[in-house]
Amino acid sequence: MLKTSRSRRLAGDILTYAVLTTLTTFCLGPILWMFLTSLKTEADIVTSHMQYIPRTVTFQNYVAIWTQSNFPVLIANSLVVTTITVVICVLTGTLAAYAFARLPFKGRDKIMLGYLLVRMFPAVMVIIPLYVMMRTVGLVDSRFGLALAYTSFLLPLFAWMLKGFFDAAPKELESAARIDGSTRLGAMVRIVLPLARNGLVASSVFIAIAAWNEFIFALMLTTGQGSRTWPVGLQLMVGEFQLPWGVLAAGGILSILPVVVLFAIVQRAMVQGLTAGAIKG
Amino acid sequence: MATLSISGIRKSYGALDVLHGIDVDLEDGGFLVLLGPSGCGKSTLLNIIAGLDEPSAGDIAIAGRSVTALPPKDRNIAMVFQSYALYPTMSVERNIGFGLEMRGVPEQERKAEIRKAAEMLQIGHLLDRLPANLSGGQRQRVAMGRAIVRNPDLFLFDEPLSNLDAKLRVEMRTEIKRLHERLGTSIVYVTHDQIEAMTLATKVAVMKGGYVQQLADPRTIYERPANMFVAGFIGSPAMNFIRGKLLSDADGTRFTSEGVLVALSGPGIANGTRECVFGVRPEELKVVETEDAFLEGVIDVVEPTGPDTMVTAIIGNQAVIARAEPRFKGRRGDQIRFKVDPSSINLFDAETEVRIDTGDGPPVRIASV
Amino acid sequence: MRRDHMKSILPRGPITLLGNLSETRYWVYLLLFPSLVLLLLVVAYPTLYGFVISVREMRLTRPGLNGWVGMKHYVAMMSDRVFWISLKNTAIWVTAAIAIEVTLGFVAAVALNRNLPGTKLFGVLILLPYFLPNVVAGHMWALLLDPRLGVINDLLVGIGILSTYKAWFADPATALAATILVEAWHGFPFFALLFLAGLKGIPEDLYKAAAVDGAGPVRQFRLITVPMLKTVIAAAVILRVISLVNSPDLLLVLTGGGPGNATQVLSLYAFQTAYREFNFGYAGALSVVMFILLMLFATIYIRLTRVTKE
Repeated sequence: MLKTSRSRRLAGDILTYAVLTTLTTFCLGPILWMFLTSLKTEADIVTSHMQYIPRTVTFQNYVAIWTQSNFPVLIANSLVVTTITVVICVLTGTLAAYAFARLPFKGRDKIMLGYLLVRMFPAVMVIIPLYVMMRTVGLVDSRFGLALAYTSFLLPLFAWMLKGFFDAAPKELESAARIDGSTRLGAMVRIVLPLARNGLVASSVFIAIAAWNEFIFALMLTTGQGSRTWPVGLQLMVGEFQLPWGVLAAGGILSILPVVVLFAIVQRAMVQGLTAGAIKG
Repeated sequence: MATLSISGIRKSYGALDVLHGIDVDLEDGGFLVLLGPSGCGKSTLLNIIAGLDEPSAGDIAIAGRSVTALPPKDRNIAMVFQSYALYPTMSVERNIGFGLEMRGVPEQERKAEIRKAAEMLQIGHLLDRLPANLSGGQRQRVAMGRAIVRNPDLFLFDEPLSNLDAKLRVEMRTEIKRLHERLGTSIVYVTHDQIEAMTLATKVAVMKGGYVQQLADPRTIYERPANMFVAGFIGSPAMNFIRGKLLSDADGTRFTSEGVLVALSGPGIANGTRECVFGVRPEELKVVETEDAFLEGVIDVVEPTGPDTMVTAIIGNQAVIARAEPRFKGRRGDQIRFKVDPSSINLFDAETEVRIDTGDGPPVRIASV
Repeated sequence: MRRDHMKSILPRGPITLLGNLSETRYWVYLLLFPSLVLLLLVVAYPTLYGFVISVREMRLTRPGLNGWVGMKHYVAMMSDRVFWISLKNTAIWVTAAIAIEVTLGFVAAVALNRNLPGTKLFGVLILLPYFLPNVVAGHMWALLLDPRLGVINDLLVGIGILSTYKAWFADPATALAATILVEAWHGFPFFALLFLAGLKGIPEDLYKAAAVDGAGPVRQFRLITVPMLKTVIAAAVILRVISLVNSPDLLLVLTGGGPGNATQVLSLYAFQTAYREFNFGYAGALSVVMFILLMLFATIYIRLTRVTKE
């Protein structure tokens, strides 16, 4: 009896690891292959016989994408747009999230639901009018304009996610600070924000990644060198120049590098915020 | 002068009324306990006193000045929270001194005050620690230190002992009483624990459903509860209730029920019959062997607790609990008889559940049978 | 003490002023104001404007054409073959992708929830694809499935499943399926994440009680795990449906809707109508229809899942 239950558990453990290994291979295999490809010479990629491990490791593809295209400009544009987006969301979204989490007011649930419903709007449905509007005020092909467009779906996301972190900070601490002589503002700045610091970082990173990755808005709203972000630039390069696979792979690896690094740093807090926000919503 | 006067406080959230016009005064140096089951509105009332919640109507005055329109920081109060609410990122010392820091008290002065409070509470050796590294009891003391150091007009305690284990709770209860007597500052204290109310209060407000059911000193609340809710809420085990009839005619006044016949005499009972409830505390039911008992029944359960033995008896078809002496010998199924101390019983109207008041003394006097 | 308190209510500067304002009932509106204004500007107004555009003629390539056309675009849509194909493809694409994602996500969550040594690391690694950009994901899989250089073709030929390399995205018969595979890769970690959180929320005691009562693993799964996860599953699915219906990125990168219209979906069709042809009126009408269908679906879906819960 004891023996069978132990052997059954052992079988379960083995099965668990098998499943996890398979899924991880499925998830990481493609990324690994892209990485390998980026290190291969053209001869190793375009062969009649599949070359799995590069015969010679070369960084030529990285040099090529960085020096022979406008990739650095694209990356810089993406950095600027992402930064502006995060700044706008943090400044306005933190205040909103705090109000949602702490201050009861009439219609709070409705406004919060409204913030959530924004997700239901098809991107295209907002993009077309936004394009027309931004052209009128001269914000098409501007990094600020693109960042502003990003806030349309990232600000509600940010506010909801951060609200979850504010909810987790005990209310009584704030009450204590107010009785100890702080105003609401003082209690928010001195007590609540430091407590929700991890959440603030995680939510910011989450929207930073989303802004960095965004493609559709950028494709529509940027038309030239001045504001084009890397996803659009990379996509256009593929179409226009028949970009060699190795160079494309190098570009891909370079552009996901910041994502992977940021994700690795704050993944725990981000996962926590993501699940809380999504389940409540 | 009243330290705290609460007048006509109402609170409603939309259509939901939480407080229906509360009026309470607390004398200088008094200890007011707001007692009631969860959801009775006691915490809401405390938050309104603190300024953390806004009343829908009414006025709060602390130390003779109306504070209804003032934010919490300007009310000169201090509060101890159920979760202690210690700032997790600050040392014990800074936690205690935070209120002084906010009010611009110079560091030297602050340090001296903190040290004084810390010594009073025997936490002088913990000042450098973070709250996370303290035990429950120590956190409780720090929270109290933070309140003391402010030297406020009024202390507010929100169920401060409910997160402690039983032994520590008794210890800290004594500590709070000692502190109150030493400092002489008025205290408003919220709890659902009737023992805390009995031991600490100079005045108890028993609350239920957003109303104050009774406002009186603990003795009066215990001995002369205003209604059956108060009678049942205070005391452990609770007061025994026996339903029956109150008869008044030429032969005198008596309370009768199956197995119960108590002859009464006294003013305030009109001629006729009246449905009522007879209330008697377990310790007032005296087991007797003689034939002239008032209550007669059969033992159901016998529970020795050490200092005494709790006996559950069935009288008619109603159960009563009596606190008998530790060496009580009866067994399940035995006959049992009780007498009652004449000054200790209460009668309640069967319908309104309000105590039948017949003046200052006991509601009715029990005549010898 | 009293002196200090008097001092603190005297205004001393903008910060103090703001602090005092924070104690009034206007504070909440002040906090909401910036984000509300911004969202009204970049969401509410454009949305309303979007409805307006859908009943107008608006082609940026032909500025002369401008004016009210009423329901013209909507009528045209009814006889637009591509619209109906896109609608059908959207339904297939979303349903199939979500079915696979839920299954994989569930398997992953159950495995991760066993809390064996190393599962934390596996959890992080499995989550990674969800955070990768669609543009990179698309090209990466295009490389893997390439008809001449694709490693997957090589592997499948190697183990004998295929006899020759296959052009997955170019063949109308396999194009949609191939894009669904890529989408599943990209999206299943999202489900794994939410399901894992849901599983962690189920009290251990429930399983112990069931085991004592004699329920085996299968029955425990059916009677405890599934009912307890119902809300999480329902929420995760609706969120995913919304984002899948709305975002054309992956298909735009992978196939552009082709070959023919084999992988054309509504969001992509609307986007291309706007982006390539600058026919904003018709694109607007397409996205309005998409939005209404989505709303309809969400309402029915929420109603249904609520009913089953109670």
